Amino acid sequence: MFTHAQAPDAVELSKAAAEKKYPAGMPRHGNASAYRIIVIGLLAIAVLAPVGLIIYQSFLTAAFFSPRAKFGLDAYRYVFADKNFYKALGTTAIFSFGMVLIAVPLGGLLAFLITRTDIKAKRLLEILVLVPMFISSIVLAFGYTVSVGPTGFVSLFVRDIIGIVPWNIYSLPGMILIAGLSHVPHVYLYVSSAMRNLPSDLEEAARTAGASVWQVSRDVTLPMVLPALIFAAALNVLLGFETFGIPLVLGDPNGIMVLTTYIYKLTTLFGTPTYQLMAVVAVVLVLITLPLVWMQRRLLRNARKYAAMGGKGARVSTLKLGKSGQIIALSIIGLWLFVSVVLPIGGITVRAFVDAWGEGVNLWDQLTFSNFSRMLEVPSLYNGIVNTVILSVLGGAAAVAIYLAVGLAGHRNWGMSNTVLDYIVLLPRALPGLVVGLAFFWVFLFVPFLTPLRPTLISLFVAYLVVGLSYGLRLLQGTLIQVAPELEESARTTGATIGRTWKDVVIPIVRPGLAGAWALIMIIFLREYATGVYLMGAGTEVIGSLMVSLLQTGAMNTIAALALISIVMTGAGLALALRLGAKIHD
Amino acid sequence: MNRHISVRSTAFAVATAISTAFAVPAFAQDVPAGYPADYADLIAKAKKEGTVSIYTSTDAAQSQKLQDGFTKKYGIKIAYNDLGTNGAYNQVISEAAAGQTTADLVWSSAMDLQMTLVQDGYASEYASPEAANLPAWANYKNTLFATTVEPIGVIYNTKALPEDKLPKTYADMITFLKENKSTLQGKVATFDPEKSGSGFLHHSNDARNRKDFWDLAKAMGDDGAKIYSSSGGMKETVVSGENVIAINIIGSYALAWVKESPNLGVHFATDYTPAFSRLALITKDAPHANAAKLFVDFMLSAEGQSLLAEGGLPSVREDVTAGLNVKTLNERVGGGLKPIAVDEGVLEYMDQMKRVQFLNDWKAALGR
Repeated sequence: MFTHAQAPDAVELSKAAAEKKYPAGMPRHGNASAYRIIVIGLLAIAVLAPVGLIIYQSFLTAAFFSPRAKFGLDAYRYVFADKNFYKALGTTAIFSFGMVLIAVPLGGLLAFLITRTDIKAKRLLEILVLVPMFISSIVLAFGYTVSVGPTGFVSLFVRDIIGIVPWNIYSLPGMILIAGLSHVPHVYLYVSSAMRNLPSDLEEAARTAGASVWQVSRDVTLPMVLPALIFAAALNVLLGFETFGIPLVLGDPNGIMVLTTYIYKLTTLFGTPTYQLMAVVAVVLVLITLPLVWMQRRLLRNARKYAAMGGKGARVSTLKLGKSGQIIALSIIGLWLFVSVVLPIGGITVRAFVDAWGEGVNLWDQLTFSNFSRMLEVPSLYNGIVNTVILSVLGGAAAVAIYLAVGLAGHRNWGMSNTVLDYIVLLPRALPGLVVGLAFFWVFLFVPFLTPLRPTLISLFVAYLVVGLSYGLRLLQGTLIQVAPELEESARTTGATIGRTWKDVVIPIVRPGLAGAWALIMIIFLREYATGVYLMGAGTEVIGSLMVSLLQTGAMNTIAALALISIVMTGAGLALALRLGAKIHD
Repeated sequence: MNRHISVRSTAFAVATAISTAFAVPAFAQDVPAGYPADYADLIAKAKKEGTVSIYTSTDAAQSQKLQDGFTKKYGIKIAYNDLGTNGAYNQVISEAAAGQTTADLVWSSAMDLQMTLVQDGYASEYASPEAANLPAWANYKNTLFATTVEPIGVIYNTKALPEDKLPKTYADMITFLKENKSTLQGKVATFDPEKSGSGFLHHSNDARNRKDFWDLAKAMGDDGAKIYSSSGGMKETVVSGENVIAINIIGSYALAWVKESPNLGVHFATDYTPAFSRLALITKDAPHANAAKLFVDFMLSAEGQSLLAEGGLPSVREDVTAGLNVKTLNERVGGGLKPIAVDEGVLEYMDQMKRVQFLNDWKAALGR
């Protein structure tokens, strides 16, 4: 869910330091290049196998395993001649940029209020603000239909008062609004981290000179965090291009299609799935995404230079809001929370406990627990819950270990391999989870020594690992970079190898950070739904993908119950993350 | 969950103990009446295989009774994979290409995809001893068997539309949609044939059988009909009253939905109610071929059909009394039941030119 960014703090700052400390004449045993090459090589195989398969598939005329498949550009010709493709592309662009227009100003504002002012209940708000990020978009979309859909309970309440429902969530603006609000946390994460590192002396100077809070924010703070804002905007455009759940649930009824739902349509449009056309659209998505990554990397480099100007270590003081300021600020955050958290979760909760809703229905008459008792009667549902827990708890822990190994390979290394690593990590991010899952299904089916693993949870774990790579690695790099270079340097000067330094110095120091990262990865694995659609089978069901397959037969009661269970599990994961001291905000 | 299992296994143990006490040979007891004499052999081999892997588009909840019945009877485990129609098709052809066939049985409602699998050589032939009990249209060359009859009909919101206002015949439905344009505007739902294989099957089957299908499509278009890719999406909007009526919906699901959702009604035209079937085939290189055969026989037997019908999937056999069967279903829908025959006819729109033409005509009729 995140674009891998170069480790935020101190990267550029310590580059010079790194060069100074590790001159060319450094002993070879102290160089971790062998380890680095092996790790990055293994990672490249894990990522490039499915991505390569998709690119290869896009140049064929039929499924790659079909004897009829021939090389050719037919698939590209079809897609580029299809007016529905351009329509979907256009809608996707409007959707993504519209989302940015909502998420970036709002996320920036929330970041400002929480990091730079003396707003009340700061600790609690920080946690609440991130909640929408941890709920899968398909669950969010279901929740919204029940609360603010055309006959949602909030809509009907409003209609009773003013006579009409003044909104329509099944429209492009409705989708943009919902997606925009739910992506506010992503902006908040980046911008708040930038704001935390801003020296406050400039702001204070402006304040002393008589500028108002508003003037300071506009003329001092804003220009300094502008690079972070632009960075977050680019990230959101990227996320917009790969959104699937919200367009699937909200855009479908009115035929509003984006690129990911266009891919989905290609599975049925021709009767049998047209993998070559799906692959072409996936390749187009990658081609759109890569320049964005390149742009992000450049932006980040500039951002660092900019922020570094004020020097580090200055004491951060906060702006005083005053009484009316507090009220206004808290109301803004409260309203946003109501719309982005209370409405969807409330909708899902209501739906899980009723068997009918909407126009002319008294919800109290429809209360039932039967939606949950089904979980115990049907083995696949029960398995799904158990597997989701196993995959997120154990799989999450294993993933942290692997991400740590990768993180160490790139640690304090600014060479070519780091650039390679950045792009490798980002490739799977650019592809829709559905396509990554399908590619992994094939990899596990056609690569001989992997076939025994296909019907096990391991195949799902590997796919999840790759899908969660950019986010997970970013988390661990953020943790690793906090280790003071002096500690590593002193170990090295006393003759320790790099391996020894990592084992005895770096890992012990980052251990608390690892626990927090584990809990966060757990949540990310918990909310994943598209990746497992093709990979899960008898005994390896997972909640998210079960919801997608249940949608086909109309078991909405069961879906709502599963969605609520998934939210409760996410809540537990989040509580655990906080207990373990996870720094959600870098 | 645990209690269920222990009750079940206790019952199983008791049954075994009783049969041992009466010293009835276990095999002979298991062979159903009228089956060939060497059937005990098939059962023994199937038990030795110990498991059967099913790729299906049927929710586990709907077939749980069938699965439990089979496992209880033969002690053979079922690996039940609910993959959806496309998922099942995709996995079967991929596995065959990789030489890694895992599916023993494909049981799917996508009649056209199932027939495509047969035509492309992914199925194996099996003369089931139960085949004689099926209607002729339900067995395609001993490779593809219809296991259910599921009517296609209409669901409506009972708070928004009283039952007596509903049209009785197919032609009436067209008039109804035209005459109530103002109240129905934007409140009619139907399958999107571009995004749903089932939707495509239902609509194109109507187009094959009814000259006035395009009038219906046009009337839906004039009412600003909304199109959905899943039954779930449609059901939810009709339950909530967002849509008043959903046309060409899977009636077998709807008959179950109306039991749990008090504001939902189900309705069928008396002169024409098409019905599709869930088709079963045994894969070519089925790793548990004997268990697969045993399962097909069980599924088509009066016992298996009763268990399916209890789960809400009406039986193809007239002699099944649990739930609905092909005869009582016909009475329930008003006498116009027209099952889609299991033959090459379902492949008509697999032809790409015809398919594209159909979808273009559809979009034109709907004004999109």
